Amino acid sequence: MDAAFTSRHPRLRELLLTLKILSRNPSAVAGALIIGIMAFMGFSADLLAPFDPIRINLSERLNPPGWGHLFGTDEMGRDILSRVMHGARISLRIGFMVVAAAGMTGSFIGAAAGFLGGRIDNLIMRVMDVVLSFPPLVLAMALAAAMGPSLNNAIMAVAFVMVPKFARIVRGEALAVKEMPYIAAARVSGAKNFWIIFNHILPNCMNSVVVLATLTLGETILIAASLSFIGLGAQPPAPEWGAMISVGRKFVMDQWWYATFPGLFILFTVIGFNILGDALRDVLDPRIRR
Amino acid sequence: MKRLFLIVVLGCFGLLLNGTVWAAGPETLVVGVSSDIHTLDPSVSSDNYDWRQIYPCYDRLVAYKAGSTEVEPSAAESWSVNEDGTIWTFSIRRGIAFDDGTPLDAGAVKFAFERTLQIGRGPADNIGAIDSVEVLDDYTVQITLKNAFGPFIQTLATDAASIMNPNIMKHEKDGDLAQGWLAENTDGSGPFRLAEWTRGQRAVLEAKPDYWGGPAQIKQAVIRFMSESADRRMALERGDIDIAENILIDQLPALEENPDVEVNKYPSQLVEYVYINNRKPGLDDPRVRQALCFAVDYDGIIHYVLQGQGVQMRGPVPEGMWGHKKDLFQHKRDVSKAKALLKEAGQEDLELTLIYSERRSSWEQIATILQANFADAGITLNLELMANPTLRDQVDKGNFELCLGAWSPDYADPSMFMNFWFDSDNWGLPGNRSFYKNERVDQLIRKSVTLSDQEKRVELYNRAQEIIMDEAPYIFLYQVKTIVPMRKNVKGYVYNPMLESMYNFQDIWKK
Amino acid sequence: MRILRYILRRLLYVLPVLLGVTILVFFISHAIPGDPAQMIAGPKASRQAVEEIRRSHGLDKPLPIQYLRFVSGLVQGDLGRSIRNHRPVVEDLKDFLPATLELTLAAMILCLGVGIPLGILAAVKRNKLTDHLTRVFSVFGVSTPVFWLGLMLLLLFYRNLGWLPGSGRLDIMVQPPPQFTGMYTLDALLAGQWATFANALWHIILPAFCLSYVYLAIITRIVRSSMIGVLGQDFITTARANGLSEAIIVLKHAFKNSLIPTVTITGLSFGELMGGAILTETIFAWPGMGKYVVDSVNYLDFPGIMGFTLMVSLVYVLVNLTVDVIYAFLNPTIRY
Repeated sequence: MDAAFTSRHPRLRELLLTLKILSRNPSAVAGALIIGIMAFMGFSADLLAPFDPIRINLSERLNPPGWGHLFGTDEMGRDILSRVMHGARISLRIGFMVVAAAGMTGSFIGAAAGFLGGRIDNLIMRVMDVVLSFPPLVLAMALAAAMGPSLNNAIMAVAFVMVPKFARIVRGEALAVKEMPYIAAARVSGAKNFWIIFNHILPNCMNSVVVLATLTLGETILIAASLSFIGLGAQPPAPEWGAMISVGRKFVMDQWWYATFPGLFILFTVIGFNILGDALRDVLDPRIRR
Repeated sequence: MKRLFLIVVLGCFGLLLNGTVWAAGPETLVVGVSSDIHTLDPSVSSDNYDWRQIYPCYDRLVAYKAGSTEVEPSAAESWSVNEDGTIWTFSIRRGIAFDDGTPLDAGAVKFAFERTLQIGRGPADNIGAIDSVEVLDDYTVQITLKNAFGPFIQTLATDAASIMNPNIMKHEKDGDLAQGWLAENTDGSGPFRLAEWTRGQRAVLEAKPDYWGGPAQIKQAVIRFMSESADRRMALERGDIDIAENILIDQLPALEENPDVEVNKYPSQLVEYVYINNRKPGLDDPRVRQALCFAVDYDGIIHYVLQGQGVQMRGPVPEGMWGHKKDLFQHKRDVSKAKALLKEAGQEDLELTLIYSERRSSWEQIATILQANFADAGITLNLELMANPTLRDQVDKGNFELCLGAWSPDYADPSMFMNFWFDSDNWGLPGNRSFYKNERVDQLIRKSVTLSDQEKRVELYNRAQEIIMDEAPYIFLYQVKTIVPMRKNVKGYVYNPMLESMYNFQDIWKK
Repeated sequence: MRILRYILRRLLYVLPVLLGVTILVFFISHAIPGDPAQMIAGPKASRQAVEEIRRSHGLDKPLPIQYLRFVSGLVQGDLGRSIRNHRPVVEDLKDFLPATLELTLAAMILCLGVGIPLGILAAVKRNKLTDHLTRVFSVFGVSTPVFWLGLMLLLLFYRNLGWLPGSGRLDIMVQPPPQFTGMYTLDALLAGQWATFANALWHIILPAFCLSYVYLAIITRIVRSSMIGVLGQDFITTARANGLSEAIIVLKHAFKNSLIPTVTITGLSFGELMGGAILTETIFAWPGMGKYVVDSVNYLDFPGIMGFTLMVSLVYVLVNLTVDVIYAFLNPTIRY
């Protein structure tokens, strides 16, 4: 791409610049690499996984890791490696769905609160405070339990809990952006509130939202796995990592491999998002502090 | 700074060396169990895990003979019954007293039964045949039944018929019949009393040296709550506990190799089966239900999931219960027959949902296997795991297609299966969980339960069982073996299928 | 005076939040599938018995009325009755709270006792090997699933090495110490029962470490970054120029100034510790509120779940209020 092209598209130029800086940051590269591997594994699990993750094979129950089954088998004789690979898809899907839902809702709520100000702002932020006055796992657990144990309900519960995070950040940014002269100009020229929020406020908050989203992805995957572990998330026979550990726990004293491998995969996926998120924050937005 | 560090490190090592100081002596029996007590009130609890503690603290009019489902005199010395089986007169043994010296007499029996009936929870149904209780004299009590009820005397040996001290009423609050107090304390005339209950940790039952039937051999029984099977197993191997309950079948081989541990297996009457909702379209066709029964790989389930620790059911009445019909038809896996039946019924691409809970640790595996078995016969089976109370609610409302269930008899009588499971008056949670209705079956079983002649009752039940096997309202899976691993030096334990998860503490001793 | 006014305002601000919390909890608990009356009545109860319970528990009234009953009960310390054991939930929570507090406090002590020195070390040795190692350690910390870590610890220290006990607060044959606080280590000390104390301590090591691990990581990072901030400031350079020893500079001046963010994060961590306690207690069969609530979930014992949720959020709000107040005292330049 020539300089003339990028100079005509400032956002694109910014993006390229960011990527360039990131590619020089070793932890960003490592994080992206881990996520890339997990995503690749998850999405091509149908082709790559050596066995069917669901089909039971009772004569091969609880085999230790070996050449036939690198990670061993579970109590149904299913190959744990294959299940863990398919599990990557589930966990990433949970992560992205939650963050997309919470990110969009939260950003919009935050932008509206910051931009409209006054009573609406007050009301919205008080409601957010209520949600924030529960420890995230506790509230997600109560919600998921009330809606009934299923993966979709768990996703909704976690998303609900994550909304205020985004709302708070975006509201802060919106308060700053609101004072910019071009907003006043847009208003004078008769623009509707919604139009201004979507075209001026939200785009200006993108950087912080992206950083927060990356960091939240890791946390989301952890909370969702915890819910599955308690029995409130993914249901069998879905090869979700937390659910696998939940069952594997019964066998951990004798069949160590069953619970160990899914846990390692959660650990590395979350590490991937966390170090990428940290690096992104350093590059994009030095203001957000965890 | 360095010295402090040294002290801390030494302190940690000291802690590591801590350990075996606290072993239990021969006068203490330690049982590792999976769940805490919910309530100690015999009028409230319908849970065998509660009965484990309640039962040895109370006496009942009659008791099971050791290891048998027949009853023998206990607090009642003798009894008689009138011609039509509706009026029972018990004469009560003299000299039985509660801890505060109050005698166990006719008044106490009347108080106990009326309290249980008035509170109206699960136990009230167990002794629900009772219409009224009358004190004839201090040691004679007369019980009038609503109708003749064949298994009545059996029900008096259940935990629900425990006799508590009438003086508990001094603990009554807001008319709760002392439920609040009795939920956390015991006040019976049995061989043990509750000495300590630390929630989530342990309960201690202490033996009464002056029990009328002779004192127990042990001084105390400690019940330790350990939620994980692996934890109980390790504690048993290390000798921290003497008996381990509810051990996962997969952990048994390791235990069996341990020379200090004995793994005892007893044929129980606990059965597991699938409710087929007979009211759902598709499933209202007996051919479809038959097809489901033929699709299941019974041998595979018993061999792999139960590791051979179970027997396939033959009809509803389990082996070991009278009324079990040895030559009744039994389904075997026959996929082509299942397919043919489905074709005949015009249900070739059937899609069903099975709901189940985690009440039994094997259910997840069973559900997954059923899913695979049904797929072979061309049936799509969706699985839905739910919390047990939600599941019960769905079952009660008939809001399900297939559901995994377990059932164990509260008293030794086939009516626990035949009448509960098939009487169309019992639709939903009370027992007929497949919403089955057949007028002929209703007639046969209702007649049978009012008779006292066992032979006639068996004949009526047999005829009902033949019809039932034709119509296949349930998938009868298997009856499990109860597995009780214990240290080799524990002697005197006797298993009784009516007292599942309960221990005869008064007869157990340690070498 | 201004501080007092600030505290008062902060208190007033807590009220609507608490009101919101009760509304949220109430509505969650009414979105539940399953008939609560049937659950209370028990499995084999007759239909009349169920209807009777529905009436006596007010479950047939419209929702707003039920909410008012709920709140008025709440004010009197009534969280309803547990479905499992028909006992007031408050009583249950009271029984299980001390175990959770003991565990949380032990974890907190571990966090601060190890996290602060580690953070200081990392700041002083900035960009040296120690710093990198603490960074790796803290990334692992925030990324580890607590329940999995607990299992791995059990596998290693209980199953394979046999060094530490695998479950419970005391050995089976150890009688709980006389109850003052309900925290066994403390009670045993107060009663002078050394053996019981050692046993209780022995049992708390693994779960406390497991629970503290995540916050250890967070606190280490916070201490490190605020120390680095402080160490770069003028007064430190002046102190150095005046010839004060490095140890005194680090411990006396720099550390004192990095306390403020540490206090804040400690308050925030408390809520997360409560969340972590749910998982840790389940893994280690630690009989606290966390294990209680997971058992409630398995039993769909909603009064139990909601009582726990409400209680935790209450404590969380109050702890953060306290932190804000401490903060106001520590940092007089705050805008009121």
